Amino acid sequence: MNLETIAVGPARRTVYYYRRGHGQPLLYLHHMLGIVGFEPLLAKLAESFDVIAPYAPGWGPAKDQLEDIDPGALDITLHNVDLLNALGVKSAHVMGISIGAWMGAELAAIAPQRVLSLTLVNPLGLWLDGVECADPFAQHPGMPSEIQFSERGLRKSLLLEGRDKMDAHVEELLNLRASAKFLWPIPDTGISRRLGRIEAPTLIATSEKDPIVPAAHGVAWRDAIAGSRLTTIAQAGHLAGLEQPEACAALASDFVRDHAMSAVA
Amino acid sequence: MKFHWFNLMPWPYLPDDFTEKHRSVWVDVDSRLFDARKANRIYNDYLDLLELAEDVGYDGLGINEHHQNAYGLMPSPQLMAATLARRTHRAAILLLGQSLALYDPPTRVAEEMAMIDCISGGRLISGFPVGSSMDDNYACGVNPATLREKYHEAHNLVRRAWSDPDVFAWNGKHYKLRYVNLWPRPIQTPPPIWIPGGGSLETWDFCAEHKYNYSYLSFSGYIRGAQLMEGFWQRMEQLGAEFNPYQAAFAQQICVAETDAEAKRLYEKHARYFFSRCLHVYPGFADAPGYRTEPTIRAGLVTQMAGQSSALNQAAALSWEEMIEKGYIVAGSPDSVAAQIEKVIDTLKVGHLVCLLHFGDMPNDVCRYSTQMFADKVMPQMRSKWAGYEDHWYPKAMPLEDRAEPRTVTPFPASLNEPPRKRVAEVK
Repeated sequence: MNLETIAVGPARRTVYYYRRGHGQPLLYLHHMLGIVGFEPLLAKLAESFDVIAPYAPGWGPAKDQLEDIDPGALDITLHNVDLLNALGVKSAHVMGISIGAWMGAELAAIAPQRVLSLTLVNPLGLWLDGVECADPFAQHPGMPSEIQFSERGLRKSLLLEGRDKMDAHVEELLNLRASAKFLWPIPDTGISRRLGRIEAPTLIATSEKDPIVPAAHGVAWRDAIAGSRLTTIAQAGHLAGLEQPEACAALASDFVRDHAMSAVA
Repeated sequence: MKFHWFNLMPWPYLPDDFTEKHRSVWVDVDSRLFDARKANRIYNDYLDLLELAEDVGYDGLGINEHHQNAYGLMPSPQLMAATLARRTHRAAILLLGQSLALYDPPTRVAEEMAMIDCISGGRLISGFPVGSSMDDNYACGVNPATLREKYHEAHNLVRRAWSDPDVFAWNGKHYKLRYVNLWPRPIQTPPPIWIPGGGSLETWDFCAEHKYNYSYLSFSGYIRGAQLMEGFWQRMEQLGAEFNPYQAAFAQQICVAETDAEAKRLYEKHARYFFSRCLHVYPGFADAPGYRTEPTIRAGLVTQMAGQSSALNQAAALSWEEMIEKGYIVAGSPDSVAAQIEKVIDTLKVGHLVCLLHFGDMPNDVCRYSTQMFADKVMPQMRSKWAGYEDHWYPKAMPLEDRAEPRTVTPFPASLNEPPRKRVAEVK
């Protein structure tokens, strides 16, 4: 499965993306480590949806675009609107993981007519005083994303294996750099002021073994988005989509089938 | 050849079990280990040592900036520089340095440095490090993804603020100032600029482009520093810069005694305190994502703490003799030290040596002894090194005869017909 490119927006910014499957469009917004090739999660989602999975500006092949994007909600949301426009997609289901869940929620809050449903897995972007959560950016530089996995060794097997060691490590650090641009020094993106604007049917999921987005955050997201539902992914870490692609894909497809089909009709 | 006396100003009371009970000397170090009443003595001792260094002949008095750090008690080197500007007269004030991206607006740094240059009669060396990840990103919250662009913008703004005689508007990406108009301005136009760095390729190019001094502030000594300095000189040659040893400085731990045996007896425990407790940094604070650029990562260059932590942990486990052999520390009798210092200078090709004569929990009297011995018995042997080169990176102060000196102020008499009243201190 090859990456495709398309120029979007008035600045004709290049977006690198995967697209596969049939049915209603689903925009997949990746986590802090980007997209790891055409992942099993994307393949699984493509069984139910027309999956569009772009690299956000700053990640992976778009690493040099980070400078052009301001860290707030506006630039990244306009970018995603530009992408949907360029692809001729009027509205899509949106699934986001980690920082991608934040970006998806911004899209749903700022451009509600473009979002059919919202599946947010381990969403970042809220800060709750007094709730302990791990700092994803204060990690050993030799294994900076280890904390995002539920078990030792998974970083190597799910993120790095089969790739040039230096390339994989550089991409890991640069993807975290892009994440830091939006989330430094604490991951409060201001979205708490906008969550009340979300109209799309919304499912929130938190991983059982995610120290970065603890369960209390899931509750706070659910309470802030009217009518939203909350579930837990057993045994998974922050990067649930890499660890449990089938379970994560099922979250989105089951939720859309049970709660969001009417939105499309 | 020039020698600068430099003090990190460490907290000397970290407990014996510090490395077992605490994860880091920096960023989240337990504040309960700090005692402000003891700090009263410590700050004054350290300032006494800096003043002594001028008296015994060092060329510069070195101070720097760290935050939330138990081995560096100087969040503001400007405060130290201010008192040195008043109480010293000849030596350069080596402010090495101030991390520009931490200050908004950065013109505050330009203002403070101008004040110090004016008070000292033009003795300031202004150091502009990008700063460590621990300080910039973790302690001060600056975003690592934009740290370097912010630093460069701040640098350009400070340089222009120092030199442009007119009021100007600055519409930058990170700083927006409608009216920039510095009062006061420095005596030197501008003060010599030194760039303290660990190992990042961009810093070398930056020094070459602006003809700045590159100061490698290493804690792992000259043998491990040789490769990096070699890289620096090669890069300078590639970029067409004419070789001048004064364009580089290197920091080295040094201690001197009558004999090698006495050096071991006097200083070993303090070196161990430094390498084990002072450099006990949690690796998660060493290198925020984005702090190093892609070329620097690919070149295998690592930040001071991330790269050195393993090497420095080894240093703590070495015997005294091995610490010397591997260059972590230059120590011994004056002749042994002179031989080692000659190697430092020749290997690294530096015209400025930043002498870390105080380290760890070294008491004031022990440090005075070492400081004096080095000045009396080692420095004179090395003075003629690099005699053929002009040092463009040392302050050009006002002539002594034109300079204001602090005066003893007597209280003004109540009536001009009366003799002056005695000062309170004299009455007591």
